[in-house]
Amino acid sequence: MKRTIALVAGICCATLAAAQEPTLIRLGRGFAAEEQVWLMSARPDLAPNQGKKYQLKQILFQANPQRFQAYLAGELDAGTAPGLSVIFARAQGVDMKIVANVCQEAAGPNWFSTTYMVKDDGPVKSIQDLKGGTVGVVEYKTATDLWARAGILNGRLVPDKDVKVFSLGFPAMGESVRSGKIQAGTFVEPFYSAEMAKGGLRKLFTAREAVGYDHELLDVWFGEKFLKAHPDVVRAFLADYVAVTKYYLANTEQAKRDLHKAGFVRTPVDIYVKNADWKRDPDARVNVDSLKKLATFMHDKLQWLEKPVNVDQMVDQGYLPK
Amino acid sequence: MRRLRPYILIIVLLAAWEIAARSGLWSPILFPSLERIGREFWLFVSQPDGALQTWISLYRTFSGFALAAVAGVALGMLMGRSPWAAGLLDPLFSGTYAVPKLALFPIFIFVFGLGSLSKIALVFLECLYPMTIITYHGARSVNRVFIWSAQNMGASRMRTLVRVVFPAMLPYVFAALRVALPVALIVAIITEMISSVDGLGYLISYSLSSLKTDRMLALVVVISILGLVLDRALVALRDRLVYWEKLDAFYA
Repeated sequence: MKRTIALVAGICCATLAAAQEPTLIRLGRGFAAEEQVWLMSARPDLAPNQGKKYQLKQILFQANPQRFQAYLAGELDAGTAPGLSVIFARAQGVDMKIVANVCQEAAGPNWFSTTYMVKDDGPVKSIQDLKGGTVGVVEYKTATDLWARAGILNGRLVPDKDVKVFSLGFPAMGESVRSGKIQAGTFVEPFYSAEMAKGGLRKLFTAREAVGYDHELLDVWFGEKFLKAHPDVVRAFLADYVAVTKYYLANTEQAKRDLHKAGFVRTPVDIYVKNADWKRDPDARVNVDSLKKLATFMHDKLQWLEKPVNVDQMVDQGYLPK
Repeated sequence: MRRLRPYILIIVLLAAWEIAARSGLWSPILFPSLERIGREFWLFVSQPDGALQTWISLYRTFSGFALAAVAGVALGMLMGRSPWAAGLLDPLFSGTYAVPKLALFPIFIFVFGLGSLSKIALVFLECLYPMTIITYHGARSVNRVFIWSAQNMGASRMRTLVRVVFPAMLPYVFAALRVALPVALIVAIITEMISSVDGLGYLISYSLSSLKTDRMLALVVVISILGLVLDRALVALRDRLVYWEKLDAFYA
């Protein structure tokens, strides 16, 4: 009898303890340009609500489609993704919403913008010279693919017809351009700085120049069911996220060193801290207009979308701190 | 009922898929219904581009496969009939058989370029192993009495090889071809998924990037049908060329 009572009491205590545990956010992350998101796990002391109002579990994904598949399979509640990928996902009916900005492709000497580079002593002097050649992108229907196509169109050339767009990994891009396998390649940090240090390559155009306006690169998204079920948890998470973003912008070098120490970044730390960075909004506000323009470009010029996507419905900034 | 037997399992699997897709337990984006997959399949086969992309993948498959068949049979015969050659080549083939050759693809791209050649080269390398090893065992298992008889009748070494050894090991060659052919198709598709601007693998990768699982599964169906048709064609060719195997079975 005593044993039964002890067992029931034990179960009750465990249930109560579980009920008091903060809600877990399972967040799918990537491997580039998401510093302030990683910092929330590398430096939980900067996120006062963490452990009290929510728990955060970050799961690394190599590509966006897998991240969305994991979400659809019920394995994720939130994640980071390019705004363009969220547009694709929404077009297929995935119930997710962008709630905050991570970084942008922006003009200005202070910001890095993804750069398309060619051989310094090669025959490609302008975009028109790419005719009959190949441009390397990271994956099809990604932001790198979109910028490459936008750049090709700017040169009055037709993607796939006049210029091939080929999928290659970032690490292979430099040697592929130098050996002439491709005529132009996509370079992001830290590969950009490493390849510039090696020499022999020069800029043809940037992502910002290809599209013609500042625009969203990466965003934070949440599943709509999670947003409805746990609005306060999302608010607490985003309050911390904005605080961490501000800390990152004010203490970039220290934050990068902390991220390197925590194993989020494998680039040698001295190179990593010197790398140029993308523009990050201190309040994590999303440039909705740029997403609308991107969606229109994807639909009208690239025929990537079967029907237009309502961008206003896929962004909800109401959870961000006022 | 007997005629239906080979299809029962397929029908059961399709029915299970449809029930799961319509249960509402999983997102229709991840688990599309057969009707949606069928619609995408029809869209693919009814467009000229579908035939073109299929042909590109088959061209890469057959080119690498044919080269591997010729080289593998020649190497297998050599190893089977020459202890010296077997002593030289067997450790190399046995030692590197388990190596995932796909890991070499980035090197192949640098050596052979981004186009079809790098893919054909990898298909060749992947198919060479089963072709050589199975043929080698076939060449070793040729009945000695046949060879002695040919030699007693004055046949030269080359004539014995062509007229006695090769026909006797033909069942093994076809077994090797049946193992290598799906490998060739799989490797061609995977290399296209990794790095290509055309072919069925490229289309799969493209569909996945757009979260078009129904289109991706329609392409999987196309590849399955191709694999089945190619295998049946190979079996039909074997039955025609290695007719004595059927006779042996009949008189056994």
